[in-house]
Amino acid sequence: MIRNLEQMEEKVLALNKKHRVAVAWAQDNNTIGAINNAVKKGFIEAILIGKPSEIKKTCESRGIDYRIFALVESHNEIQASSEAVRLAKTGEADIVMKGLVGTDKFLKAVMDKEMGLMLPGSVLSYVCAMEIPAYHKLLFITDPAVIPFPNLDQKVAMARYAIEMAQKFGIKKPKIALISASEKMSRLFENSVDYSIMCKMADRNQIKNCIMDGPLDIFLACDKKSVEIKGVETPVNGDADILLFPSLESSNPFYKGLMLFAKCELAGLIRGTEKPVIVMSRSESERSKYFCIALSCLMA
Amino acid sequence: MVLKNMNDLKRLVEGGPRKKLILAAAEDQHSLGAVIRAWKENIIEPILVGNEEGIHNICASNNYDISGLRIINEPDTEKSVETSVKMISSKQADILMKGKIGSASLLRSVLNKTWGLRTGNLLSHFALFEVETYPKVIAVTDVAMNIAPTLQDKIAIVNNSVACLNRLGYKMPKVAVLGAVEMVNENMQATLDAALLSKMNQRDQIINCIIDGPLAFDNAVSLESAQLKGIKSEVAGDTDLLLMPDIEVGNVLYKSLVFFAKAKVASIILGAMVPIVLTSRSDSEQAKFDSILLAAAASR
Repeated sequence: MIRNLEQMEEKVLALNKKHRVAVAWAQDNNTIGAINNAVKKGFIEAILIGKPSEIKKTCESRGIDYRIFALVESHNEIQASSEAVRLAKTGEADIVMKGLVGTDKFLKAVMDKEMGLMLPGSVLSYVCAMEIPAYHKLLFITDPAVIPFPNLDQKVAMARYAIEMAQKFGIKKPKIALISASEKMSRLFENSVDYSIMCKMADRNQIKNCIMDGPLDIFLACDKKSVEIKGVETPVNGDADILLFPSLESSNPFYKGLMLFAKCELAGLIRGTEKPVIVMSRSESERSKYFCIALSCLMA
Repeated sequence: MVLKNMNDLKRLVEGGPRKKLILAAAEDQHSLGAVIRAWKENIIEPILVGNEEGIHNICASNNYDISGLRIINEPDTEKSVETSVKMISSKQADILMKGKIGSASLLRSVLNKTWGLRTGNLLSHFALFEVETYPKVIAVTDVAMNIAPTLQDKIAIVNNSVACLNRLGYKMPKVAVLGAVEMVNENMQATLDAALLSKMNQRDQIINCIIDGPLAFDNAVSLESAQLKGIKSEVAGDTDLLLMPDIEVGNVLYKSLVFFAKAKVASIILGAMVPIVLTSRSDSEQAKFDSILLAAAASR
């Protein structure tokens, strides 16, 4: 079982495979730094799509030899996004990554009905693995980036993606906590209704390979002592591997808060696509971007 | 403790203090027959309220010896019901039984705001079946009173029924929430409500019982069929109480058990200050007698 992001990196290195990553609008400093690192470690080959002159300039300023990348010229971020997606679609790339382009423009290319990368009928969502110094293992969370207010079907899809990712980390039957403000079921809290239904679906094996409980608050999900104090019987038992959040507005501040105040590192990935798609906030650190690339190789 | 059959129910009542039963509008041959038998067998102490002359005529033509029985003469049907209900609300008796009067009129008096038997709880119908093909009696609710119960109604119906089973000696009755299938299906409200009831039970929001659902009828009453489907459930195959999704399913099941499976049935109304025996004219005298037994056992 992989317990932190460095172990994840080791696992990717041990795969001994080179994945081809197409980066859309690639000229930004953090992206090039992270890509360079991954190429040097030997687990990817990179195709950088953007303005070659700017890419070269960024490389030079950091002392990176741009000749280790394949460069594809593109004039604007929309075209660069389409080109990255096209390369993945035609099999010339295994992974697509967002560079300096806005998330909405990038995802538009990914979700294009004819040229995009969506699996038929699938839900586009986001899962990330968080390494939090105060927690004894990796914590997967969903969805801090894509679905604002997931409905029941989307929550079920989110749970399945997170379970699938946790399994790639060697957790056979991940414990998944469905997060709310309290552990009670109340019709006034629609999410607690969805959660109760999902738990029964897990009971009946309609959601497989997990131990699911919810609604739970974060204490009951991640802290055994709180479970004891509150006396709530829960199979997750303060040992959650996955937290499923009720909304983007709850999960996004959770992960950003942890990054800012609790020295958390993370690796995240879009789910629901034919091939891994790396989307991260432009302000994210080079190190996080590097881990995202490694994660995409693990999931590819 | 579980009850295997109606004889066990009788044993539960025998030897205890005799409960006082008021038969409202008592000039009714079928009800009188059952009441007098229960009186002769020392199960209850009846008080007959109604048309005294009519009562004596019925007893004479059926050779019922009612010497020593208390009769309150009230020839007007509506008034006889009002008197009966008022005697109960002033704690002069433990059980109310319907005689020669429509169910709707009786219930109107029971629900009277000033002198009725309201407790704030929903009224619900509770039936107990002895079927040869099941190793113990099985309770079914609600087959006669609530037409299309909402989730809140279902909670109230379960609470009524569980409190009754608790009084019959079941510490943690097993409650199966019935659906057409054992899977959660968003298009079948019964399966969603079942999931919510299960979760509320897990969270101690519904207590003194073990709830599982949705369960299809076969999974609820046959362990073999539950195992064939791979259902893990404490309730499946060992159900004490079946919660019906609506009155149509409930009523058809009830009548199928009686007509095709030759089940014995006892039934009462719960949720008022006292159990109410509200059998219909088409019920056999045996069913009326067994219902009196059930009311006596369920009475506090």
